[in-house]
Amino acid sequence: MTETPALPVPDALSYDRVTLRHDGAISDAVGPVSFAVERGERVLLLGASGAGKSTLLHAATGLFPRAIPGTRTGELLLDGCPVDSRAPADWADTCGHLFQDAALTLAGFTVRDEIAFAPENQAVGSDRIPGIVADSMIRAGIPQIWANRRITTLSGGERQMVALAALLAQGAPVTLADEPAASIAPMVARRMADLLLAPGSTTIVVEHKPGPILDRIDRCVALGQGGRVIAEGAPRDMLRNHGVALAQAGIALPLATRLYLAAPDLIDPHMTLQDALARFPSAQARRLRDAVLPTPILTGEILATLEGADCAPPFGPVVLRDVSLSLRAGEVLAILGPNGAGKSTLAACLSGLIPPRAGRRTGVPGAVAFQNPEAHFNQGSVRAEIEGLGHASERVAQILDLWGLEQVAEQHPFTLSQGQKRRLSLALLAETDRWPVLILDEPTAGLDGAAEAALGQRIRALAHEGHGIAVITHDMDFAVSVADRALLLNRGAVQFDGACPELMRDTALLAGAGLLPPESALILNWLETAC
Amino acid sequence: MLKSAHPLPKLALCLAWIVASLIVFRLSFQIALFAAATLLLLFDARIPLPRLLFLMVPFALFGFGFFTTSVLFRAESGFAVQMAQEQSGATDVAPGLVLFFRVMACGMTSAVFALTTDPGQFVRALMQYLRLPTSMVFALMQAMHMVPDLRAEMLQLRMARAIRLGRPLRRFPNPGEALSLAIPLLAYAIRRATRAALSFEARGLQPGRARTNLPQPSIRRTDWALFFFGFGVLIATSTIILMPAG
Repeated sequence: MTETPALPVPDALSYDRVTLRHDGAISDAVGPVSFAVERGERVLLLGASGAGKSTLLHAATGLFPRAIPGTRTGELLLDGCPVDSRAPADWADTCGHLFQDAALTLAGFTVRDEIAFAPENQAVGSDRIPGIVADSMIRAGIPQIWANRRITTLSGGERQMVALAALLAQGAPVTLADEPAASIAPMVARRMADLLLAPGSTTIVVEHKPGPILDRIDRCVALGQGGRVIAEGAPRDMLRNHGVALAQAGIALPLATRLYLAAPDLIDPHMTLQDALARFPSAQARRLRDAVLPTPILTGEILATLEGADCAPPFGPVVLRDVSLSLRAGEVLAILGPNGAGKSTLAACLSGLIPPRAGRRTGVPGAVAFQNPEAHFNQGSVRAEIEGLGHASERVAQILDLWGLEQVAEQHPFTLSQGQKRRLSLALLAETDRWPVLILDEPTAGLDGAAEAALGQRIRALAHEGHGIAVITHDMDFAVSVADRALLLNRGAVQFDGACPELMRDTALLAGAGLLPPESALILNWLETAC
Repeated sequence: MLKSAHPLPKLALCLAWIVASLIVFRLSFQIALFAAATLLLLFDARIPLPRLLFLMVPFALFGFGFFTTSVLFRAESGFAVQMAQEQSGATDVAPGLVLFFRVMACGMTSAVFALTTDPGQFVRALMQYLRLPTSMVFALMQAMHMVPDLRAEMLQLRMARAIRLGRPLRRFPNPGEALSLAIPLLAYAIRRATRAALSFEARGLQPGRARTNLPQPSIRRTDWALFFFGFGVLIATSTIILMPAG
């Protein structure tokens, strides 16, 4: 008897010379791109803002170009079949898609409704659905008592976890996750990564900050401007061999790679960060310090103070009690805390926009750069927005140049990339003397590595010019890189107010607030002992 | 009791009471209906009295229009007078007063349904029992999600404008400000709805496709008992009130 040769197992997903172009665009958003994802492989898709990562994921199930108008060329196979052979909704049994803003696209009225949505659409027997819902909640770490909670009562991080449970209930063997950890507390982000990137799972994940998930990734694919693959391979090899090219393409690099690029004569790229630090000469500590911590700025007078303030949103209950803090000229303060801790409410009180319910605020007026930069725009072009500040035309041109907006000066603000929108909103607040106090709410959300680095430099430059700046963020490494001081909010109160590196080394305090130490914590500890 | 009742018999009963309120043009009937609905909200649904009074304000303002027209200007609606004459032969009180209490009675009856019904359960019941199209059901649920998010978006827009104008945030927007917020909020709602539609499609929602439903509470005997009791009370009250005197 002869053995029948085993049929080759098709790739889970394969792109073959695929190009994607949005309707009305003059060039392709992606491609031509060719790569495949094997079953059981976890692939990290890297790329700067606008490189076409989300479009590439939308094309995987045919949403692009069926639901999102555009054209596609090349061959795209999902589970070995042409993606056009089925409608996008029919692929739900094969491919689950966790969208960039999953928390804002939930379907159900309650947590149970939400998790049951995909099994209902797949016509799973009604008697089986409650068991699937309960099982998915357990796997996602969601308490069963939440089953009847209304979605609208959940915080952003909680909604993201419900979206993940709904994805698990869908039971699709292939998962696409588009920035699943953006704007959520690090502890929640880690739990999400544990589930999405469990060994054996077939997942393509898009992340601007690859550091925390790199150990769970089998292969990286990096897209350059124009949406073409510029590097591909095992994570460590790719970062080691193509680090400079990736950085030039605007991709955020993990700390170890950044350190190697900053001090190639002192750090061996083949070693772990711990081993590299063990051999790092103490006499060169300053180079490490400069790579992770901001250059100190001499602080000036106190600009704004809260004394025993109870902070509450308009028409809402008090979320922070007895807050006392001050912000000085030249100081950058990081405001940290879990989702729903009251960070944005504190920002509104500190800026003077909302008076505290009890206690008092004194000092100069402040402005808040909101998480959604579009809230700040009300003119028809970028130039008109800047002209609205009342400067002469020469000064307007200087501001456009300084903030890297001269190329898009005549565009409508809503058509800019996320990084450009962020820069414009900040320019509108910073390029006037009206607001010496500036508060930035999640300024790195949606920014790529290059845009984030540029933003960090602008923040330090503004502090140097005499602004007092507060930065609300979940990105602990960004906080370390720009802030001199940190404030930790948790359970309705200020739990820490002191030097930023000191908080970042206090693992227990951070864990109590659902936060994780930054990647640079190892270096902060090393600097503490070495210096 | 009302909060645990199935939404569909409760809806049918509330609609029956509202229709009766529109047909029976008697002050005593309107007052009885208004009082019954208010007592149910106070003692069964346990709605605090201040909130209840606040809820009555828009209905009272609407009803007050009829009342002032009738009492102060002696200008009765022809339809109201005709209804009053057909049912009792004479207008014993100003028809404007009846109209005022009719608005209050209808308003509070609808409040009984709205404040004792879980919207999600109601929409799902419509899908399960009355074949409301799935796409419409999830569009409704999305609209319910969007209301608080629109409020948050509006607050952010108002704060951004307050920053630009260099003044603290006003508690309430003035009419000019409210008008200028309409277009950005509409744009936000459209963008958000588009993203939600994409997400729904990616998760398998497709018009006309067979789907199952998460098991929902069925209509129990107690629900039917409540419906027939309420309907019986309605018939009895109407009969007594409309019965010719003597």
